[in-house]
Amino acid sequence: MRKSKQVFTIFVLIILMLNIIGCANNSTKNTAAEKEKAPVEQISDAKVAANEKVLLEQLQPLPKTNQGEKIGILVITLANPYWVSLKKSYELASKELGVNVEVMAAPTEGDTKSQLETLQAMIAKDYKGLIISPIEPNNLVPGVVNANKKGIKVVNLGPGINVDAVKDAGGKLDGRITVDFEEQGQRAAEYIVEKIGKDGGKVAIIQGIPGAGQSEGRTTGAKKVFENTPGIKLVSIQPANWDRNTAYNIATNLLQSNPDIKGIFCCNDVMALAAADALEAAGKRNGRIIFGVDFTDEAKAAIGTGKLDGSIAYSMDAYAKAGILLCLKTIQGMDVPQTVKSPLAVVTKENIKEYSNWH
Amino acid sequence: MQQVKRLFVTGNQNFSQILLGLVLLITVIVLSLASPFFLTWDNWRNILDQSALQVIIAIGMTFVICTGGIDLSVGSISALSGVCMAVAMHAGVSVELAILLGITAGALVGMSNGWLISQLNLNPFIVTLGTMSVVRGAALIITTGIPIYGFPKAFTWWGNGHIGPLNPPMLIAVFIALLGALVLNKTKLGYYTLALGGNEEALRRSGVAHKVYKLMVYTICGITAALGGLVVTARLNTAEPLAGWMFELDAIAAVVLGGTDMKGGRGSITGTIMACLLLGMLRNGLTILNIPSYYQQLAIGIIILVAIIVSELRLRNAPGHQKNS
Repeated sequence: MRKSKQVFTIFVLIILMLNIIGCANNSTKNTAAEKEKAPVEQISDAKVAANEKVLLEQLQPLPKTNQGEKIGILVITLANPYWVSLKKSYELASKELGVNVEVMAAPTEGDTKSQLETLQAMIAKDYKGLIISPIEPNNLVPGVVNANKKGIKVVNLGPGINVDAVKDAGGKLDGRITVDFEEQGQRAAEYIVEKIGKDGGKVAIIQGIPGAGQSEGRTTGAKKVFENTPGIKLVSIQPANWDRNTAYNIATNLLQSNPDIKGIFCCNDVMALAAADALEAAGKRNGRIIFGVDFTDEAKAAIGTGKLDGSIAYSMDAYAKAGILLCLKTIQGMDVPQTVKSPLAVVTKENIKEYSNWH
Repeated sequence: MQQVKRLFVTGNQNFSQILLGLVLLITVIVLSLASPFFLTWDNWRNILDQSALQVIIAIGMTFVICTGGIDLSVGSISALSGVCMAVAMHAGVSVELAILLGITAGALVGMSNGWLISQLNLNPFIVTLGTMSVVRGAALIITTGIPIYGFPKAFTWWGNGHIGPLNPPMLIAVFIALLGALVLNKTKLGYYTLALGGNEEALRRSGVAHKVYKLMVYTICGITAALGGLVVTARLNTAEPLAGWMFELDAIAAVVLGGTDMKGGRGSITGTIMACLLLGMLRNGLTILNIPSYYQQLAIGIIILVAIIVSELRLRNAPGHQKNS
């Protein structure tokens, strides 16, 4: 009998503790972000500055800053380093622009239902604007419509939300900022083709989640280049769902069925690194080109050591800053361009030194 | 005081539910104090909307777990029935018929689970692990991996419609919950469901067609999973082959948290509903408090573990348990 009572007390205490940990975690987070910020030079690198300039030109005239607007940001998942980096960039930009941002995410890359639920919960709060990046073109549509109803401005950053579906449901997007996914795939494929040279050979594409905007766009871009280059044979397009382990297995299988494969384009760096590991484990890394997209920190290191051949980069700090500026413009009722596009950079073994300060 | 004591002396059948009710209440109070946005109707509508889906699937799961079984294929069934509805509608079939087709598909998968488990006397865990993969594969093959999008308004109404302040998923959940409680507590099917988990051998010897009842239980679970598929597909206006990922684990967690015994023989629909609400509220509350998703997973996992520990310790102290008898 005493035992049950004790257990009950412990149960209640744990629930309370979790809530307290949560609140405490919230307040410590900001100071941690500040500490992190201190040593970072304010976008000093020439490459990043040039990238930012192209973006800001599209956003003229710039909105009023330092108004302390509260903006909610929903990314895909913080279990992927790309979105973790972007979260940091958002927080950095928010300090510079004097706005309050809160970044939320779905628990995993494929959890479309939880991402919508998170968005719905965010809409119940007092944000002036939302910047959202959907897992899949349709999963956040009902949330966009709800945000419209509450008068919250919605900006779509990165992977596209299905605009027709939003319109059908009676809603609208207030702004959109993205990178050209097709161009990413195209420029990566062009590099691979150039490196393979005149002899030609077999290449393959490893996709993310089928149907996801970034994955489809990059695949289409790369596919076009591969198919239009004489001598290049595209042997396989396989989805690895952005997952490291799946990509590893696919690369291993590709090597089994095509021992003479010369190039693999992966729709993000996580999968590209896995493919590189798989080829290395099989002792067949040499003479094969592996290219990723996103230029994450891990990819940066891997390109430096030659493990990865290259990646398609765009400045995340500039991208996040432009996203917040675009959202501010919609909140302040200014006209916005139809789509803001971030410029791209092809980072390879040859030019990695110029990108050492890239963020 | 005597009453309080009696409550904890485990003789009380409803201990788990009362405990869960208390935890639910405490969570509401704590979250309301922590955030001004928690106790708004807008937010509660979200919580109810999100819990509705989980309730629908978890009710079917409650029946299965009451028999001492388990069904790991519910998430895949949700995806497959959604895909069937989508394909049918795009082929020009009327909305009602398409929904019926999707639910039939779910029922058939449930039935084949039931048949394999009861007739061939196979382990439910392994059988449904197999069908989970088979059914997910079927959904991927039918769609070739690409989500099917765009349905008539009459269909999306099932996910996004308005019925006063409520919406159709909530009403389906209420209907299924009432029906489930009625069947489990007041009918022969419910009685035998619990008996299957309590002592299947005794049931067989007393001449009850126990295999038929088991088949029916898995069919029910297939139907509720298909209804879950209807809600997800209609809400997103998209049939995704990967929809319903991990639904089975959410459903099992809710059922166990609600006080249903994994070994079967003892179960509660009320408990399942309260557990769904608690989990839904926690997810929502943790998001509103800006707690990163990592902590959300941790918190929900710990709560499930604690719930199991509480119920297990209580059973061990219960009169009639080997130690005491």
